[in-house]
Amino acid sequence: MGNSEIRERLLKELNEGVVEYDEERVKKAALEVLDKGLNVYDAVMNGLAAGMEKVGELYDQQEYFVPELLMCADALYAGLDILKPHIRLEDLGDKPKGQVVIGTVQGDVHDIGKNIIKMMFEVAGFTVHDLGRDVPLEKFVEEQLRTDAEIVALSAMMTTTMMGMKKVVEMIKERNPNVAIMLGGAPVTRDTADLFGADGYAESAGNAVQEAIKMIGRLREMQNR
Amino acid sequence: MTALTPRERIRRFFQREPIDVMPVFSGMGMVTIQAIEEMGIRFAKVHSSGGLLARSAITSAEIFGFDAVIVPYDMCTVPEALGRGVSLYEGAEGILYPTVPSKWKSLDEVSLPKDTTYLSKGRMPAVDEAIRIAKAYENGRYAVGGWVLGPFTMAGQLIELDVLLKGVKKDKERVEEFLGKMTDLVIEVGKHYQRLGVDYMNIREMGSGTDLLSPRMWKSLIQPNLKKVFSELSSPKILHICGSTDLIIEMMNECGADAISVDQKNNVAESRKKLGGDVIILGNFDPYGTLVKMEAQQVEGVIKKCIESGVDAVWPGCDLWPDLKADNVRAYVEAVRRYGEAATPAVGRTK
Repeated sequence: MGNSEIRERLLKELNEGVVEYDEERVKKAALEVLDKGLNVYDAVMNGLAAGMEKVGELYDQQEYFVPELLMCADALYAGLDILKPHIRLEDLGDKPKGQVVIGTVQGDVHDIGKNIIKMMFEVAGFTVHDLGRDVPLEKFVEEQLRTDAEIVALSAMMTTTMMGMKKVVEMIKERNPNVAIMLGGAPVTRDTADLFGADGYAESAGNAVQEAIKMIGRLREMQNR
Repeated sequence: MTALTPRERIRRFFQREPIDVMPVFSGMGMVTIQAIEEMGIRFAKVHSSGGLLARSAITSAEIFGFDAVIVPYDMCTVPEALGRGVSLYEGAEGILYPTVPSKWKSLDEVSLPKDTTYLSKGRMPAVDEAIRIAKAYENGRYAVGGWVLGPFTMAGQLIELDVLLKGVKKDKERVEEFLGKMTDLVIEVGKHYQRLGVDYMNIREMGSGTDLLSPRMWKSLIQPNLKKVFSELSSPKILHICGSTDLIIEMMNECGADAISVDQKNNVAESRKKLGGDVIILGNFDPYGTLVKMEAQQVEGVIKKCIESGVDAVWPGCDLWPDLKADNVRAYVEAVRRYGEAATPAVGRTK
C-alpha cells in the first residue's frame, strides 16, 4: 500500500470514528498516523475536523442531537490528544492562527456550547485560554490583556446572564478596540450582538458548531489550495 | 356578572368553566424590577426571604395587574437543600439569578437523602413562607402558582449536564435509575407545594426539548417519568417545555397534565391542529424580546398573534426578565385583556 493509500485509509478511519463516536477507533488511527509518519496537521484537519463537519450536518438534519454531539466531541478529543503534540510549526505554514480567551459569563453554569467552540478553536490550531464557567466579567478583560489574545469568545445560555456580555464588550473595546469579540449561546441574536458592539455571534451550540465548522472549513480550503 | 377575582378567574380557567376575560399569569417567575425598586432592595436579596419573595411577587402583580403570584424565582432551592450549595451573587452588579456551584461530577457521586428532611433545608422554608403569605394576602385575592423542575431538568441541576447527556447513550441503565429517583423527588416537592395550597402546579421540564434530545429519546426517557409525575399530582397541573417542541407536542399531551405550555419556538397554530380544541395550550411569547427589547407599541401585535394562533392564555415562554420596560408590560397586560375577551378553543366566556 502506498503512502497516499495509507493516508486515505487513516483519514477515513479518523473521520468515521468521530462520526460514529468510536473513541477507540479514532485513537488507533491517530497512533497509526504517527507510526507511519504522516502529516499530523493533515490528519487533524482532513480526518478529525472533516468528521466533525459531517457531525454538524447530521445535527442540522436532526439525525444527531446533543448527546451524539458530545460523544463525537469526545472521540475527536481522543484523536486530538494524541496528534496535537506532534503538529509541527511548519505544517501550519502561513495559515491563520492565534489566541482565544473563552468562557461562560458570570451567572451561567452551562458550558456545553462553550466547550464545543473551544474544541473547534483547538482543532483549528488556536491557543485557547479557557476561563471556564460562571466567570466574573472583569476576568475576561484581565485575561485578554494578559495574553494579548486576538479573540474573546463569550457564552451565555440564559437570557438572564446575557446582559453581562454587554459590559464585557464595552470593557474590552475601551481598552483594546482591535480585539474581535464573539458572542454565543441560546438567547443571543445577531441584533443583540450588534447592539452590544460584538463582532460575531452564534445563537446556539448547534449554530456555534456550524459557525466554527465554517471557519474550519475555510481553513481546510486554504490548506488544500 | 361582576368581574371575577384574579384567583377565581384562574381557578375557573383550569376547570374550563367560562370566565370573564383571559387571565394574565404564568407558571414561571413574574417579578419585576419596578417592584424590587419600590421595595428598596437588591434583587440578590430577594431569594432567601419568604417575606421578600412574597412581597416582590405581590407588588409586581399589583403594579401591573397580574392575576397570579409565582414563587420562587430561581431553580436552585431543591439542589441547595440536597447539599449542592447556591451562588447568590450578592456582590455582583445588576440582575443575576442564583446558580448551583457544585454539581455531582459523575453518577458515582450521587447521594440522595432517604427521607424528606431536605424539604426543610436551605431556602425551602423561605419558599414555604412566601406561599403562605401570598395565599393569605387580601383573603386570597391572587392565585398562587407553584413550580418544580421536571425530572430530567432537575437531574441537570444536580449532576453535570454533559455527564447526563452522554450517559443517556453510554450508561442508559444507570441514567434511567437516576431519573427514576429524580421523578420521586419531583413528586415529593410538587406534593409539598400542593399541600401548602398552591392554586396550580407547573412542571418545568425545560431542558428536554428537541434542541437537546431526539423525539425518540424523549419518548423513552422523558415521557414515562412525566407520566408518573402527573399521575401523582393533583390538578391543576401544567407541563412546560421551552425550546423546540413541535416534534414532541403530541407526546407532551399524553403525559397527563391539564395544560401544555410552550415557548416562542413552538408553532402554536400547528400544535392546536394536532391537539384539537379541548386541550388548554399556554404560550408563547418571548419575554425578553417582547418586554425588554421591543418598543411598547410593538407589544400588542405579539400578544394578538399568540391569541390568534390558538392559546387559551398568553404565557411568557420563560421567567420574565425582571429589568423590563414598564410601558411594555402595560401594553402586554392591556392586549391580553383586549384580545382575551373572546372565548378561546378550550375555555369559554361568561359574556
